[in-house]
Amino acid sequence: MEKAIHKNSSLLKNKNISSRKAIELTVYIVVGVILSLLFLFPIFYMIATSTKSESAYASSAGTLAMFLPDLTNFGEAVKNYGNVFSNYGIWRYAVNSFTYAVIAIVLNVLVNGLAGYVMAKLNFPGKRFLSFMIIFLIVVPVETSIIPLYSIVKIMLGLKNTASVIGVVLPASISIFNIFLFTQFFESIPQGYEEAARIDGANTLVVFFKIILPLSKPIVATVAVFCFIGVWNDYLWPTMILPRAQEGQWPLYPIQSALTTIQSIQGITTGEIMSALIVTSIPIFIIYVLAQKYIVQGFGTAGLKM
Amino acid sequence: MAVSALIIAAVFVVIFAVFAVFDVVTGKRTKEKYRIRTALTAYLMLAPAILLAFLFVLLPILYSLGYAFTDYYLLEPDNIKYIGFENFTRAFSEIASGGTLYRALINTVKFVIGVVPLQIGLALLLALFVNKPLFGSKIFKVCFFAPVVISLSVTSFLWLQILSPSRNGLLNSVLGLFGAEPRDWLRDPASAMPCIIILSAWQGCGYQMLIFLSGLSNIQQNLYEAAALDGAGAWHKFTAVTWPGLRSTFVYIIITVFIGACRILTQPMLMTGYMDHTVTLSYYMYQQGYTNRWVGYSSAVALLMTIVIGTITLIQRRVLREKN
Repeated sequence: MEKAIHKNSSLLKNKNISSRKAIELTVYIVVGVILSLLFLFPIFYMIATSTKSESAYASSAGTLAMFLPDLTNFGEAVKNYGNVFSNYGIWRYAVNSFTYAVIAIVLNVLVNGLAGYVMAKLNFPGKRFLSFMIIFLIVVPVETSIIPLYSIVKIMLGLKNTASVIGVVLPASISIFNIFLFTQFFESIPQGYEEAARIDGANTLVVFFKIILPLSKPIVATVAVFCFIGVWNDYLWPTMILPRAQEGQWPLYPIQSALTTIQSIQGITTGEIMSALIVTSIPIFIIYVLAQKYIVQGFGTAGLKM
Repeated sequence: MAVSALIIAAVFVVIFAVFAVFDVVTGKRTKEKYRIRTALTAYLMLAPAILLAFLFVLLPILYSLGYAFTDYYLLEPDNIKYIGFENFTRAFSEIASGGTLYRALINTVKFVIGVVPLQIGLALLLALFVNKPLFGSKIFKVCFFAPVVISLSVTSFLWLQILSPSRNGLLNSVLGLFGAEPRDWLRDPASAMPCIIILSAWQGCGYQMLIFLSGLSNIQQNLYEAAALDGAGAWHKFTAVTWPGLRSTFVYIIITVFIGACRILTQPMLMTGYMDHTVTLSYYMYQQGYTNRWVGYSSAVALLMTIVIGTITLIQRRVLREKN
């Protein structure tokens, strides 16, 4: 009898708990949706506007249609994106950005990887001084030296000419922090792998390319992904050193710098500007989806900087 | 210019050689063996990194120190004179007389005071919200993170349309529903900086949310269970377990967000141009050094900025760590 009562009350309690949980979940989802909308409305607006003609944009003002793509007139969306691609030639700038990013990634991995390998595995006089310099340069705030960097690159390559493309890629290919990351990672690779290769007569460079790099895919991928995002999203530096586009020539600006030019073109519509912004953002979006794992790893290493 | 670079390089080679010799000498005592072949390979493999780091990392830092005391004008690199502290007195007198540098200082302080608490507070709230193992939390996390994917220049141009002064701009048309007259948000000194603060926090806080989340995942679950056994409510759990557990994450975030905020440049540059009510310290520095080509003066401002930011960061670290 007593047991039955006990069972009953616990059942009642369970029911209470589950209904409370249901309410909690509903509140959670409602709050979550509202917050998400607060964060996503500019993006919805950007996507929606990119499908509209100027008149459709104007007539949607002040209504919910501002955030909804104009599906009734699909030709308008095609026209906006088509204009951005063919008339304003955004694909050329995208090709530029892509080229700069790929070259910077290859150099970044090679230069910093080799240095990291030496710091992790080889013993040589002067190593302690180099390690000290690495830590010192990571701690010093570098961003405030962009004007002196500009004056150095300017004197090396001349002002605003085709050679300044080198100035976009080279500074992006050295990263003291990446040397530090590579060193940390290579130190964790057991010495045995290398020794086996050395007995077979491989020299240090061959060991690096044939043994170490294939074992280090996670760190290489992390460095490559962050290098790509950095170069693709960089606006200020390329705008500073590259010459403006000239009539009839292949432009040198990367896509972010080109946005300034594109959005100030006479007679460009809001829809076209938004299409350009979306085209600029899509590669980074794809990278974030594909390389999620390495980006999360990269966040983990960001804490090391302190 | 090139000569000074060579002199600096030579000085570094000498310092380097001294340390290397020191290593070899002390190495004999500690029985550390150095092989010439290994050392040669090592330096050969280090050469590209050392060269690039010297040119693009070390030299700019040293030059920005050196230029600050000269009258270097970008188009006359062969005619540099040492002028002592003249650049600094000019900067201070510009601040004292309420010139553009003063405006830049005030705007930067405004931005930092606005964006640091907003962005970090938002990031913490969102992280706590998303950290609940409830239905939909993963989707919400992606939604809150989405703006981070967009670059700063795209963010600036996107919000330029949202804040557009025309009646059809997003904000104006929504406020127009309530009968408000359209406003030019970015030209109005009262609203320009707050707008830039809000869009910057919107763009950035998803990143700090992820860092807070990784901090939260490091807190041991049994601490919460122990607190629950002691009858702790949600708020008490937060103050007794979550907050102490997030301490080091919080210190890291506050310092990085603070430094990042002090350097704000892209948003005012692309959204308003060089205007008194939105100019920031970095923008002023850029304008003086790049547009007006006064590298010397610009470097002096940069040096002052580095000193101030560095000092504040050190104080922050002290204060925040000591409470631990």
